[in-house]
Amino acid sequence: MSFILQQLITGLSIGGIYALIAVGYALIYSVFDFSNFSFGCVMMVSGFVCYYSMQILNVSLAMAIALSIAASIVVSLLTELVAYRPLRKMGTDRLFLMITGMGIDLAVANTATILLGANARKIDVSELNLEGSVALGSVFLTKLDVFALILAFIILAALYVFIYRTKSGLGIRGSAYDVSIAGLMGVNVNRVSFIIFFISGITAGFAGILCGMKYAVIPTLGSTPALKAFIASVVGGLGSLPGAVVGGLILGVLETLTSGFVSSVYRDLISYGVLIIAMMFLPHGLLGRSHTDKL
Amino acid sequence: MQYYLSVLTIGGINVILILGLTLLTSYTGLFSMGNVGFMMVGAYCSAALNVEFGVPFIPSLLISGVISMLLGLLIGWPTVRRKLKGDHFAVALLGFASAIKVLICNIEIGDFDGAMGIKNVPKLTNWYVVLIVGAVITFLLWNFVHSAYGRNCRAVREQEVAAQTMGINVSRTKLLSLLINAFTTAIGGGLFAFYTTIVVPTMFTQNQSSNHLIAVVFGGINSITGPVLSSFVLAILPELLRVISTWRLVIYGVLIVVIMLVKPEGLLGYKELNFRWVKPALAKARALLKKNKLPGNDGGKA
Repeated sequence: MSFILQQLITGLSIGGIYALIAVGYALIYSVFDFSNFSFGCVMMVSGFVCYYSMQILNVSLAMAIALSIAASIVVSLLTELVAYRPLRKMGTDRLFLMITGMGIDLAVANTATILLGANARKIDVSELNLEGSVALGSVFLTKLDVFALILAFIILAALYVFIYRTKSGLGIRGSAYDVSIAGLMGVNVNRVSFIIFFISGITAGFAGILCGMKYAVIPTLGSTPALKAFIASVVGGLGSLPGAVVGGLILGVLETLTSGFVSSVYRDLISYGVLIIAMMFLPHGLLGRSHTDKL
Repeated sequence: MQYYLSVLTIGGINVILILGLTLLTSYTGLFSMGNVGFMMVGAYCSAALNVEFGVPFIPSLLISGVISMLLGLLIGWPTVRRKLKGDHFAVALLGFASAIKVLICNIEIGDFDGAMGIKNVPKLTNWYVVLIVGAVITFLLWNFVHSAYGRNCRAVREQEVAAQTMGINVSRTKLLSLLINAFTTAIGGGLFAFYTTIVVPTMFTQNQSSNHLIAVVFGGINSITGPVLSSFVLAILPELLRVISTWRLVIYGVLIVVIMLVKPEGLLGYKELNFRWVKPALAKARALLKKNKLPGNDGGKA
């Protein structure tokens, strides 16, 4: 029993990381109708900045986290301003925006591999007393997992408050419904896109740091989690924020339970398989709106 | 000479790999992030058939193509029936490719171990085999695209509801494109296996899927010569530019972004490579050289 609980909480923690990235996908899809495939490089940049700022600049862990969030915000905003905004002005098809995102991811990840080498680096988390494990009754969890879980929920709660209780959030929700109408009603769509990429930069940055702390900091840090979070956000319902969170958590829990109870080898097969079968029966995802074709 | 021929072979194999994806993505509008699954099936099946069962070269390629088509049917039928499109379809194929990879890595039948791969595959892929197979597939694809089937695909890409109103069976068209894609990618994978003489799971990464997709869009939508040229050049680029071969992928990425910003339909989007522009260009050049004889400059004088 305690094993199930342990796997469940670990799964929720990993799911929290996926949910953070998936929320970014959902935000961007809800307003602009395309999936931003450059989250991999945002995560990688934040992981690298965290590591190198501790190595080279010798700052404390908290300061390193702040610096890496700033770096990931910069990268995310740069992709928006340099790549996506001009293409959107030209009115190009979604496929091209996605290919551009993939191209940016390719370029940045390979630049990092060439310039900084592909060895695994470890982020030293002993400062905030995050090494080791903690015991809650008979359940043993690593402190890092608990930290990731709590941090993910704090950020998601803050995001909820921002989107559903503030005026900018109202603008985002309006643009998510229909970008052109929101623009006609006086919402500054450029500012909305700025805010969205800012937010998704923050969430992807936190996800990158957590992944870097949990695993190792390598140039391909972001590729696998970003892909999994993409699947999670699609299954949860493209463009739906609660759906993205739910999808991410479900994927995390499914993965961990599978590797705990079935076999860690078949983990990907079973978790993707279950999600894709779920998608067959709910073609618009778990919490997605059914989009009828606009004629 | 041998070096140039091997470079040609690598480029040709890459072209065959993306020809199916061209049909699926640039003509039918479904983008697939799981093409590496079909490639893996093709490589493993043809290598296994040849090494274990002694099936000769071309039949093993064709049989592995058919097996890959059956798998494509397995994933394609439910996804197309449920009208999954766009990102949902991409995710389904992505999951399918991961599933294939996991399954193949974990097959242990007799002394065939999937994860250890197949070694000692005879090196039967020569430049002329690749050239002939590539030419045949390109010819077939050209005819397909310029026929009613091709027009159906384009109609489905542009506006599905209108296509359905016109009487085009959308599910069947999409499924047909997917099956052709599975077949040609498997043949490409098989040729790849016979070229590298060894088949291991680590040779087939998700990055390859993305790279193929990027090559197709980069080459141009609604064009066959575009992706053919672009994937050929991109495959032989590390050989041509050895001096910057470490930066190859970075340059590739930057080039993609630049091309998307400048010409989003791709390099040869909506056009095929032809030489019809030569004559008018020559005439214009000739006219420019004799400046005062440009039409209209005489002011109406004879």
